[in-house]
Amino acid sequence: MIGTGRKKSIAFFIALGAGLILVIILLYVGWVLLGWHRGILLFLGALLLALIIAGIILNTTFLVREIRRNEQHDAFINAVTHELKTPVASIRLYVETLQTRTLDETKRNEFYNIILSDSDRLLGSIEQILRTGRVGSSSRKPHLVPMNLAEAVKECVARARILYHVPPESMEYEPGPPLPIQGDYDEVRAAVSNLIDNAIKYSGNDMHVEVSASGVEGKYAEVRVKDRGHGIAQTELKRIFKRFYRVQGPVATRVKGTGLGLYIVRSVAKRHGGRAWAESAGSGQGSTFVIQFPMAK
Amino acid sequence: MSRILVVEDEQHLAEGLRFNLEAEGYQVEVVDTGEAALERLLGQSQIFDVVVLDVMLPGKSGFTVVAEMRQAGQFVPTLILTARGHSDDVLQGFASGADDYLTKPFDLTILIARIQGLLRRREWLRNAQPVQARNNINDNQFTFGDKSVYFDLLELRVREQVFPLTLMEMNVLRYLIQHEGKPVSRKTMLEEVWGLHEDTDTRAIDNFIVRLRRYIEVDPTKPQHLLTVRGVGYRFEAFPAKRD
Repeated sequence: MIGTGRKKSIAFFIALGAGLILVIILLYVGWVLLGWHRGILLFLGALLLALIIAGIILNTTFLVREIRRNEQHDAFINAVTHELKTPVASIRLYVETLQTRTLDETKRNEFYNIILSDSDRLLGSIEQILRTGRVGSSSRKPHLVPMNLAEAVKECVARARILYHVPPESMEYEPGPPLPIQGDYDEVRAAVSNLIDNAIKYSGNDMHVEVSASGVEGKYAEVRVKDRGHGIAQTELKRIFKRFYRVQGPVATRVKGTGLGLYIVRSVAKRHGGRAWAESAGSGQGSTFVIQFPMAK
Repeated sequence: MSRILVVEDEQHLAEGLRFNLEAEGYQVEVVDTGEAALERLLGQSQIFDVVVLDVMLPGKSGFTVVAEMRQAGQFVPTLILTARGHSDDVLQGFASGADDYLTKPFDLTILIARIQGLLRRREWLRNAQPVQARNNINDNQFTFGDKSVYFDLLELRVREQVFPLTLMEMNVLRYLIQHEGKPVSRKTMLEEVWGLHEDTDTRAIDNFIVRLRRYIEVDPTKPQHLLTVRGVGYRFEAFPAKRD
């Protein structure tokens, strides 16, 4: 209900902006027709008018963008609330269980492992949120050092395999030649890990992920993460990299997330002078995510 | 044994809840989507005594689930257990038809206490319900002590004896049984049973009561069931011993 209310208010502001511009143009045309002989004034008027129109357009654009952002922010708060509170709730529940009930050795160990994995999950969410703040601010420059992208990708793949218990045949990775780049090791790893995590998260039960790292014309070093998951609609390919943005629909409600992962990927790419994008033939066709870094000279 | 349906998609939480509730002696079933919960609840009603419901579920949200349950006439006590603790969320939960609301992270002992509270309320209602159910007009029979009233047959059976009642006698008796335990004034009985609104002599009712007492009471001079409420009217007591 809140959503439709906001859509209405967006439509209202757009209509208001367009209406005002129309009124001004009509007034001006009328004024020109009546006072065509005052040449200089006419020119000045046209200039001022163009300025006013530009102002209104700018104002409307900003307003609409702010409303959209606000909307996403609400969704983000809900998602973050969930991502942070759920592991805490689980940890608390198991600690209380261990405290109050007599358990045998195997059960106790099982519960300890659950607590451990939930604290890892919590830490992951916290890191993601903190990283968003870091990569989003232009005042904090990345700490660039010479590094091998291929090596970083290899580590990320190994980490994901252990973390998500991925069977080897479900995730393909061919180690290639070294790819020297100037990068912030921590940020690059976070970006690549986010892409791999997404591919696993959105693949469902029938998982098949291909990860590759290669050079492009000696200029760029790129990482491609290809999945056979739900795929992405053409209209969403760009939007998914926006902060807090999550695709609406059944998939996004099934797969939990904060809407920060791809924003981090894109921000990291930009900070390194590279870029990131997604390719998909459409829904149900799987998707490929690419991040490119400039090759070190 | 009370049966609890846990609707939770976070596997760790779901299993932790299952373990603890089973340790408390409840029978627990876990489902991980709102759709599955609705299927379980609307398919065979009355098989769960309490539902513990998450809100941020894949597919239908917990709020939608509880609203659809209520709409479909499933009134099983439902506790919403969610990370969303903003007052708007809590209000939405209750507005959707939830009976209780608890935010994550939660205190296990408090969750269990609240579930027990809901079960207790259900138990109290259940104990109170049989009388009400039997009083229902759709229910053609009402039994108290060794006496049974067959409303549609216009018969009162006391052990092996059968007393045929007139339609008006039966209507008076039915009205009193429907308001079991509460004093009913002569005036309202006239209005409700006879449909009279004039200031008729309300003493006419007394004759009916005298006759009914002859059938029902062991000693009509010391009535146990059809009691006189001085200055008001009468009261029907199905189980007089319980009141003393």
